[in-house]
Amino acid sequence: MNAVAATLGGPASRAARRRRRSEAAGTAAMFYPAFALVAAVSFFPLFYAIRQSLHRADYLELGGFVGLRNFITLFATGGGLHFLSVSLLFVAGTLALAVPLGIGLALLLARPIRFRTAFRLVLAFPWVVSELVTGYLWMWFYDGRLGPLADLFSRFGLANPLSDPHTALAGVVLASSWRAYPLVMIFTLAALQTVPVDVQEAARLDTLNEWQRLRYVTLPLIRSSVLVALVLTTLHSFNSVTLVLAMTGGGPVGATDVLGMRVFSEAFQFYRMDVACTIAVVIFGLNILASAAFIRVLRGQPE
Amino acid sequence: MSAGRRARTRRGVADVVTYAALLLACGFVLLPIVWALSTSVKLPQEIHAGPHWWPHAPTLHNYLGGALGAKFQRYIANSLLVAAATLALSVGLAVHAAYAVARRRFFGKNVLLFLIWATIMIPGVSVVVPLYTLSVDVGLYDTYAVLVLVYAAWLIPTLIWLLRGFVAAIPPSLEEAALVDGCTKLRAFYLVVLPLLRPGLGAAAVLVFVTIWNDFLIGFALTLSDEHRLLQVGLQAFVTEGGIDWGPMMAATIFALLPAGLLFTFLQRAFIQGVTGGAVKG
Repeated sequence: MNAVAATLGGPASRAARRRRRSEAAGTAAMFYPAFALVAAVSFFPLFYAIRQSLHRADYLELGGFVGLRNFITLFATGGGLHFLSVSLLFVAGTLALAVPLGIGLALLLARPIRFRTAFRLVLAFPWVVSELVTGYLWMWFYDGRLGPLADLFSRFGLANPLSDPHTALAGVVLASSWRAYPLVMIFTLAALQTVPVDVQEAARLDTLNEWQRLRYVTLPLIRSSVLVALVLTTLHSFNSVTLVLAMTGGGPVGATDVLGMRVFSEAFQFYRMDVACTIAVVIFGLNILASAAFIRVLRGQPE
Repeated sequence: MSAGRRARTRRGVADVVTYAALLLACGFVLLPIVWALSTSVKLPQEIHAGPHWWPHAPTLHNYLGGALGAKFQRYIANSLLVAAATLALSVGLAVHAAYAVARRRFFGKNVLLFLIWATIMIPGVSVVVPLYTLSVDVGLYDTYAVLVLVYAAWLIPTLIWLLRGFVAAIPPSLEEAALVDGCTKLRAFYLVVLPLLRPGLGAAAVLVFVTIWNDFLIGFALTLSDEHRLLQVGLQAFVTEGGIDWGPMMAATIFALLPAGLLFTFLQRAFIQGVTGGAVKG
């Protein structure tokens, strides 16, 4: 069809074709530069990390090919399972505190209350505090000699929760939840605004009490947004490095050594780039697995 | 009658519980911040005199010496400079790409768009070590340029996502009218579409600024010298082998959380649009 038009067409159609072609070039010029930058800075390093994880490293130079030996070493003798279980505990702890807190506060803020804007502002605030600042604020708050809780801690025979291997992870998890719950709260609040007023009204007329309305009407309607917030919180806390780096550096005696922290200490403290990249690839792989699982769960949701 | 009163009492109790719970939560949020604020206006002797909330002899010494000292000023200037350059580069590229995505068809659109958005799933910690090695290899380690390139590339996928929505909300008839009036397509984009994207660009700017102001990972991994050090990395320099000088450190900490906090307080809507869009990157 196009060919026919081209052979039969006079100057007008040739001009149209030229216009179309220059337009396509214009569109390409609008999109491809952004793609090129993203590909260079996101994909290329990822391939580099995967390649390095299959080789030995000689400081910054790529060493000999070792297949999967880096991964085997990591999990057999390199403490990989320990880092992984600390990471999972960190994520589980953060979720266990941040999710109920975020949803609960959103439900309270959705009630007809006074000073709602002020409450929402204060309660969402930790969301904009950086991980490093969060870490330092809590580290100083926990201080066992000069902090406001020093008396309380000493009564339990604790110098400082962060310096005791039994309590350090809990201390970091509390700080992590402080920063994580506002995201859950904001997503839940946004979802609550989409619950139609007449649905709530109908539920009230059906003489459901407040708890029943929550359980059978509101929560099912906001479930998918809450799930998205849960997914984001899981991935954020799993990939988080800075908070642990600020508060404990992975210690004491490895009690808070999450995978992400380990990438940093292997790379920038011990200069073992092969080990660092191996852990980085493990983190990436687990992200992909978790995302795939979450997508399946979200697909199964109504709506 | 008594049923009505009971219902009213029950609502009264529920209100009391609501306010109590909200105030308790506010306490949880504010205690570490207020404690830092209190510390930041105390001199060392007062800090070491044991914990107390109300400072006896408040002073701005820590701010003037620590948070606003020459070194720290340089870090602040660096963060602002990198944020401004990244803003220009990332939003400049993303707004064009978002327009092409929302309005045009081009070769490989769906695949390339999927690839761009897939990079949101790549956690920063997985690529930061290769970025360090590569930046040393190509001679960009410890420069402003590498910071700007990496931040821009990390922000662009989210910015395209964010801005595409804003472009789609503009009726195409406006551009068509401009074309009828003899505008070229590119001019129609700059003169008609771009001005209407202002709220989207505002949300994008907030996202870029807060991301860079708050980021530690990239600044830590890709720079070394004071000359190129960003604010958050500079904050870490208060932690030394000899211990931590808490007064100046808390002053600097308060200062570091202030700009993002103020933006959030006054621009909540742009903020929530920008940062929920950006909440995805780990």
